[in-house]
Parts: sequence; C-alpha cells; structure tokens
Amino acid sequence: MNPKGAWKFLTSVRLAIALLILIIVLATVGTFIPQEREAEFYQKNLPGISGLVLPLGLDHLYRSPLFLSLVFLFLLNLIFCSLQQIPAKFRRLKTDQEAILSASSIILEPQERSHLERWLETDLIQLTSIFRKRHYRVRVSATADGKTFLARKGWPGLFGPELVHLGLIIIIAGGLISAIFSQRISLALVEGQTEKIPGRDFSLRLDRFTTEYYPDGSVRDWKSLVSVLENDQVRLQKTIEVNHPLKYAGMSFFQMSYGHDWDRTLLELEIVWSQSRRRTVTLKVGETIHLEDGARLRALSFIPDFQVDDSGQAYSRSAEAANPAALVEMAEGDKQVFLGWVFHGHPELSRYQRRTGPELKVDLKNFSAPSFSVLEASSDPGTDLVWAGSGLLVLGLLASFYLPYREVRLKQRVGSPPVLLTYARKNRDAFHREVKTLLSLANKKDLKDKGDE
Amino acid sequence: MNEFSFLLLAFITYLLAMLTGFLSLFGSGSQWRKVSYFLGLGGLLLHSLSLTVRTVHSGQPPFTTMYESVSFLAWSCVLAVIIFERKFRLEKTGPYLWLVVVALMALASSPALPKAVNPLVPALQSYWLWLHVSVTLLGEAFLAVAFVASLIYLLTPEKKPGQPSQEARRQNLDQLAYRAVAVGFPLFTLGALVFGMIWASKAWGRYWGWDPKEVWSLITWLFYALYLHTRLVHGWKGKKSALIAVLGFLAALFTFFGVNYFLSGLHSYA
Ligand code: HEM
Repeated sequence: MNPKGAWKFLTSVRLAIALLILIIVLATVGTFIPQEREAEFYQKNLPGISGLVLPLGLDHLYRSPLFLSLVFLFLLNLIFCSLQQIPAKFRRLKTDQEAILSASSIILEPQERSHLERWLETDLIQLTSIFRKRHYRVRVSATADGKTFLARKGWPGLFGPELVHLGLIIIIAGGLISAIFSQRISLALVEGQTEKIPGRDFSLRLDRFTTEYYPDGSVRDWKSLVSVLENDQVRLQKTIEVNHPLKYAGMSFFQMSYGHDWDRTLLELEIVWSQSRRRTVTLKVGETIHLEDGARLRALSFIPDFQVDDSGQAYSRSAEAANPAALVEMAEGDKQVFLGWVFHGHPELSRYQRRTGPELKVDLKNFSAPSFSVLEASSDPGTDLVWAGSGLLVLGLLASFYLPYREVRLKQRVGSPPVLLTYARKNRDAFHREVKTLLSLANKKDLKDKGDE
Repeated sequence: MNEFSFLLLAFITYLLAMLTGFLSLFGSGSQWRKVSYFLGLGGLLLHSLSLTVRTVHSGQPPFTTMYESVSFLAWSCVLAVIIFERKFRLEKTGPYLWLVVVALMALASSPALPKAVNPLVPALQSYWLWLHVSVTLLGEAFLAVAFVASLIYLLTPEKKPGQPSQEARRQNLDQLAYRAVAVGFPLFTLGALVFGMIWASKAWGRYWGWDPKEVWSLITWLFYALYLHTRLVHGWKGKKSALIAVLGFLAALFTFFGVNYFLSGLHSYA
C-alpha cells in the first residue's frame, strides 16, 4: 500500500466500522468465557474450545494482545480521523470574504448549490434581519467585483464530533495509563494496628472498626475510623465507609469488606464431668489452661464453617461463622481424656470426638473473634484523564446533536448569475429547502415574515 | 390507594392508550390519536403516583429491585413516547411502542418479580444510584423508540403492489429512529458509562473492571456508535443502520435482564 493509500485507510470511517464490529464480537465472547481462570479450568470445563481459548488469550481477553491491538488500531483510526477533520473544519470557519469572490472557489465541499433568479438588491437588509432573528451571525460585504452575504450559526456543532473523538482518545489514553501504572494494595487491619503503605512515607492506623446491621441481620455499613501517620505524627483522622473513600497524597483508601481473625478466637467452653460437676472457662485458640486435679485443657484450633472433605480432613467452607467448631484436647496427667471437635449450638454432636469417660463432655458455649477491616489502597494516575475525556465526550455529544452548524452564502460576481450555497452537517437537502423559503420571504417585500410573530 | 392500585390503574390506562393507538391507524384516525395521547398522559400521572408512593414508603430510590427497575423503565418509555408524539408525531411507531410499554408493565406486575423492599447492601447506598440508573433507563427508553421505528422500517417493504412507493414512509421512520438515538445515546453515555465509572471508582476503587455488566453496557454503547457511523458511509444507511439499531436495543435488554440471570459478577445485586 502506498503512503497515501495507508493514510486514507487509517482515516476512513469504513475502518472504524470494521473495528467496532470486531471489538463488539470479541467483547461479547469475553462475557461468555469465564475470565482469568487457571489453564486446567478451561481444559476441564470447555474441552471443545480450550485449544482455541488458551493460544488466543481468550482466558484474559481484555488484556490479550488480540484485543489490545484492535483497541490500538481503533485509537490510531480516531487520531488520524481527527487530524484530517479538524484542519478542514477550521478552514471552513476561516473562509470569510477573501476567497468567496475569487474565481477559483476554495469553498469546502460538500455543500448544496443553486442559482437564484435575481440578485436581491435592497432586500439584503431585510434578509439580514430575517437571519439575525434566527440567531445567525450575518456578514455582508461589497466590492467592485461583487457582493457576498454570509450567515452562519452553531459553530460548536461543527466541532461536536471532534470533541467526542478527542474525549475518546483521552479516555483510551487514560485507560492505558491506568492499566500500566495503577497500583492496588489490600490492607487487613484490626483495631489499633498500624500499617506502613509500601513505597510511601506514611502509615495508616485503624482506630475503630464498626459494622452496622439492618434489623434483619444483613450488613448496612462498615465504618473504619483511621489515622494517617507521618513520622509518628497524626496528620489526619477520618472515617472510611463504602462509597466514601479517603483521599490522601495521591492515594485513595476504600472500604471493601471485613473479616474475622479466627486464629485469635476467644472461646467459652463448658466442661461437664458429671451432672453435678461442671465448669466454664474462657481461653484463646492455642492456649492451655490448668484445671483442678492436674487436668489441662487446650484449644487446638477453631473453624468458623466446619466441613469435612473426602479424605476426612476438616476445613472451613467459608469465612463466615456458619457452622463454628473448636478442636479441643483435655488431659489428666499424661493421659489424654478428650480430643475432638465441639460444635456451637450442637452439644450432642460427638461424631468427631474421642474420649475415655462416657460422662465427660465439652461444650462450645460461645466464641468471639477480633474483626478486621479490609481496606483497599489504590493509586491510579489515569483516572483524571478519564474524567477529563468523559467531560469532553458528553459536551461533544450535546454539541453534535443539539447545536447544529448552519452556513448560508449568497454571492454574485459582476456579470454572472447569483449563487446560493448552503452547508449543514446533516439533513443538507432539508436545510437548503428551508433557506430557499427564507429567501422567498425577503423577495416578497410586502409580505411580513410570519415566522417571527 | 397503595402503589399497586396506582400501578394497576396505570397499566389499564396504557392498555387503552395502545388500543386507541391501533384504532388510529385505520382510516382517518386523528381523533383516536388524540385520545391515545391523553390516555398516555393520564397513565403517566398514575404511574408517577405509584413510583412516588413506593419511594416515600421505602425511603430508597425506586430502582433497587428488578420489579422497581422494570416499572421505572416502562415509565421512562411512556415519557419518551409522549415527548416524541408531541414533537415529531410517531405515526405507526406509536401503538407498537405502547405494546412495549404494556409488555413491560405486565412483567413488572407479574408475580415473577418479587415486590418486597430489600435493605440496600453497603455498595448501593449512594446518591450515584439515583443518577446512574435513572439517566441510563431514561436513555434506554429513547433507544426503545429507535428500536421500534427501525423494526417497522425493516418490515416495511420497499414497494407494495398497487401502491406507489413507500419511500416517504421509510424515510420518516429512518429519521425518527435517528432522532431517538440522538436523544438516547447522549443520555445512555452519561448515565451508563460516565456516571457508572464515577460510581464504580467511589465504591470499588476502580472506574472500570471488565465486569460482565460493564462490558455489556459498553457493547450496547458501541452498537449505537456503529449506528451513527454507518449513516456516514454511503450504502450503509437504511437497512443496515436499522438492523444495528435493533441489535443495539437487544444488547441493552441483555445488559438489563440477561447479565443478572446468565452471567455472574459484581453487579448481581438484584
Ligand atoms: C466509539 C467510538 C466513537 C464514537 C462514540 C463516535 C461518536 C461520534 C458522534 C456522536 C458523531 C456525530 C454523529 C452525528 O452527528 O450524527 C461522530 C461523527 C463522526 N465520526 Fe465518530 N465516533 C467514534 C469513533 C470514530 C472513529 C474511529 C472514526 C474514524 C474514522 C470516526 C469518524 C467520524 C466521522 C468522520 C464523523 C462525521 C463528522 C462530521 O459529521 O463532521 N468516529 N462520531
């Protein structure tokens, strides 16, 4: 392809259409193929197409070379298209009088053209007022060579599409910057904990963490009261909530969720030796306490959502306290008398227990674990570009659709018939017809301009 | 009167607006056109009362459950129908749009969509919910106008035996669809994409994350960008543009309904 052909190809709307279709198809595919999973997942669940998914990068489609190169080509298309359109539009605005009268018309195409029956002599003044009332800027000039009448309005509409395209270029640029430079760190903090922010010279301390609930028990809000510390000095104290992040030194801190530090659960256990002999103790997971008669009780571990897998191993199905259980061991002297899982709310469950005395029972009365707040710290230098681009995009759309550009030229060179030229971005024929109607108003001097009453 | 009585009355009024709309297609139906228009206005009033009662009662924006969103989308469609009927005359497109409204109302009032008020999860408690959803659904209502006009365009034969040319009709439909996109596209851009990105960046700490709902609203938006540009290239205007306007609205519907039911992601609240 020669350079001119390549330029034409890169600026063409046909390329834009082709790329839009391809991007739509690929984006759709990406919503039906689960993204960002392990290779085995695709081999197991999509055996038919995994040979296609993995080499093409469809498992991480939106950052795959295939998708990114389409977006990049689209960006080039947008840039080159704008580079071609913007100068042409400025030229249209600049060709005021100088060129109109010259024989070699450099007035830009496309425009509608027709010849008038006669030159509007004195009615030019009336015509001026007709167009001014319709918010046109009117300019009339006369030289020895001839006369011109120029009326136009809505220049923002002329540049509307360019504003839209420029906004998009900026948004895509912002997106690329985000993809390359944005950083996200997840922080899990318990009350009182201070965490240094990596790569920054400040730390974040969680002062208080509260979860608010609705009457039905579902979560209403999480609130983290945090302090920003620089050199051990409190710089700022603020409550972070969902939808209300903290911004500090180019970083934002978001409330994402919360959790419990189950490894530090405090257990309340009741030991029943017999009907008459029982005792309640509290201890932390990992702790051992001594009971009377040289007996020892040890809490080995705690699982919030107890489940047993195929091989008999206990694990937690979730991080919620849906089926809480503690592993407890009790010994008298060097003889183990109890080992097993005790379940909260189900003292009768003894399936996972081993004990010597049939009377001996341990019951998990209560438990509480310190909760931690999950915050996310992010810095994203692309965000502001995206907002700026979005602003231009929306303004450009409004200008494109609601401030239509209109241009009317009447010109007569001495010795040739008068010519009417009109230009609009859209609906050109209709506009030409409308202008002719306006001209006929001026033609009939005695008729008043009905449209203005 | 509670929200459901108002909703039912609105439903019945819309049904009548549709019937009188279809009557206006026969013979010199200008009387029926007027009746249909005023029935539509009355229905809009009743429907607004239903939405207001719900909002006051729940203290939440009226689009946090599927029932509320469908009802609000129907309300937006009625608004779009009335505005376009006043400004441009919908002709044949009108009654078929009422059919869409009636279908949405039937869905909203059907038992398939639970009517209970659910407390809002933390991420949804934001005034951006108001801006994001209302502007998006309002935009989609105008895209629905373009959808129906384009569908009728595609179904109107170029020539009918015994009749001269249908060209004038087809051009009116094409023009109507374009005008509707010219309103719907900026609204959708602002509501779905721009407000959506702003809210996502506040709630989740990133403005874009390729979540299925996000991708599908992008796909919808790209369809309409495609629609606008096909009109610049000779040969694409007309049938191909109309087809794209139809596909674009189907994509919008999939974003609205399909993503929640078929694909999982962060947006699956309702
Ligand atoms: C998603 C991407 C794009 C969007 C949202 C977009 C948006 C728009 C809009 C809203 C208009 C005005 C349409 C009207 O007034 O009816 C327009 C016009 C136009 N667009 Fe795009 N555009 C996109 C991509 C492109 C690309 C890649 C090209 C490259 C060739 C392009 C070339 C044009 C041209 C030549 C016009 C006509 C300009 C004029 O009438 O003065 N667009 N675009």
